[in-house]
Amino acid sequence: MSVSSLPRWGAALAPLLLAGCAGNGQGLNANGEPITPGSSPAAPLTADFQSIQDNVFTPICTRCHSGAAAPEGLQLDAGHSYALLVGVGSAEVPSLERVKAGDPDSSYLILKLEGASGIVGVRMPFGGPYLPQSTIDVIRQWITNGAQQGASAAASAVAFALTATSPADGALVPQSPRQFVVAFNREPDFSLLNDTTVMLERATPEGPVAQRVSLELARGNPAAVLLTPLAPLLPGAYRLRVRGTGAAALADVDGRELGSDYAAEFTVNGAP
Amino acid sequence: MRRARPARLAALLLGLSLCGALAHAEPYLAVANGYKCSQCHINPTGGGERTPFGEIFAQTALPARHLDTGSDVWTGALNRFISIGGDLRYQFEAQQQPQTKTTNQFDLEQARVYLAASVIPDRLLVYVDEQVAPGGALNREAWGMFWSADHTWYIKGGQMYLPFGLRLQDVTAFVNQVSGIDMTTPDQGLEVGWEKGHWDAQLAVSNGTASGSTTSNGKQESVQVQYVETRWRLGLAANLNGSSAQGSRDAFGLFGGFKTGPIAWLAEADIVTDHSLPPGPGGGQKQLATLLEANYSPARGHNLKVTYEYLDPDRELANDQQTRWSFVYELTPIQFVQLRFGARLNDGIPQLASEHVRLYFAELHGFF
Repeated sequence: MSVSSLPRWGAALAPLLLAGCAGNGQGLNANGEPITPGSSPAAPLTADFQSIQDNVFTPICTRCHSGAAAPEGLQLDAGHSYALLVGVGSAEVPSLERVKAGDPDSSYLILKLEGASGIVGVRMPFGGPYLPQSTIDVIRQWITNGAQQGASAAASAVAFALTATSPADGALVPQSPRQFVVAFNREPDFSLLNDTTVMLERATPEGPVAQRVSLELARGNPAAVLLTPLAPLLPGAYRLRVRGTGAAALADVDGRELGSDYAAEFTVNGAP
Repeated sequence: MRRARPARLAALLLGLSLCGALAHAEPYLAVANGYKCSQCHINPTGGGERTPFGEIFAQTALPARHLDTGSDVWTGALNRFISIGGDLRYQFEAQQQPQTKTTNQFDLEQARVYLAASVIPDRLLVYVDEQVAPGGALNREAWGMFWSADHTWYIKGGQMYLPFGLRLQDVTAFVNQVSGIDMTTPDQGLEVGWEKGHWDAQLAVSNGTASGSTTSNGKQESVQVQYVETRWRLGLAANLNGSSAQGSRDAFGLFGGFKTGPIAWLAEADIVTDHSLPPGPGGGQKQLATLLEANYSPARGHNLKVTYEYLDPDRELANDQQTRWSFVYELTPIQFVQLRFGARLNDGIPQLASEHVRLYFAELHGFF
């Protein structure tokens, strides 16, 4: 084969090497996920979180918003989405919450889906196709109704557990974060939230030094605890600890203890 | 950026006017004409502000008709050191999705301006690419680049588009989605490039966060090597993103182009392994995307583009593949103005209506 004949060979071979057909969907449920024994088909979209997760976030948004490269740290898979959406400030426009319970017009998620003026970056889903307005209206309705996580999650029999932190364990933060998020799978007992159950410490040669923070539950998302440093954090190594065992263990509103201690370490790189 | 002197401009105009069948913008233009990206763009890997050659090409070889401007020829150069450029894309689009009301809208896709300062002519360049609409201003690129004296090597530092495969204008292409690298996801880092004869290569080390806040000390390495002949080219690319403590994301691409008669072909195949996602079926750990595009230019100012794309979003899961056909007609009636009419037809699993969207658009593209 001569070099000059390469284009002809390329034209002949490329379709064979690069082509394929769309899948027939066999063995997949309504969200395109594999059907496993005992799984049930997804229901049509309704104004509740589980339905929105199953019909919008999981099949559409998680193509980008998942795993290591999740834009703006927003993971929208079923394990993280609620905790990182409701009552949590947007990274692009910190003055707006991603989902502000009861107020869809002030929820950054809605502004991004509708491509409203004032957003930073582009309309979502990135590059389109954009969600039909009827779908966005269902999400609006869910937010108007209070952006609840749903009865199934609240009544879940699984153990009380910590599901996510932001910044994540091992993170390198360019400057002092305005706020931290510690998300649980259920609402913690607010009366147990104090400087012995949730601690932010700075590592120094003399040992850990406790940092003063305020603690509050995210509005409309009581399973997420927001920590706000009372003073900007200096550059250095920090550890966020949650006590889940012993006499001062953190528990949920039903009195179920966390069961294990948790620690996330991160580094603040720049000056406040 | 080099200063375009009148004599050089005249030579360029004459040369290009004799080329006859030269085609239009983007990677297929490079394939159709046997050019490297750096022939028409000041960024050696393509995209953004055009070189004087690119500007003249766009005014003489691209349009069906060249409106005579006499001796006033736009080259982007404001003076010996400063040059500017821009792109504006405005479209009307209609979107059909099964079981959903068809929507249509006017949409300002993007307006971008470029500014380059050649502070040491031919050696040191400072460059900014700013998207000014829609929404607030958004910086796409901002870098400084230093060339070796023989223009064989360069080093670039700042926020930049990463070298990986074909730099397609359509950022929604499956190969762009899977790799996560396109002209909307620049990153901050350093790039070293080499250009000699038929070869060019780039190595970039960046934060791996698409210009967002860093979340770890991990970095993203991008490597690309390309061999360019007059009628064909072939390239290899790799991108290893270790910026997340949850796991790395590794992408490998094979791309190229060739010309058969009046048709310029583009092809790319990317495979991605994302170790940050849960393994196994449905986890989306291994993905494959391909693209095959034919560009037929029956006459100057006209181009018909047919693109086939294939996406396997989870290699370990059967029957979940997607395809997309695009048919786009591009008309460049006069210099700096292009009209594009197209349809993109998605096909996927029957269960997901969102994988069966049909998008029709008419776009006005202004550039200078």
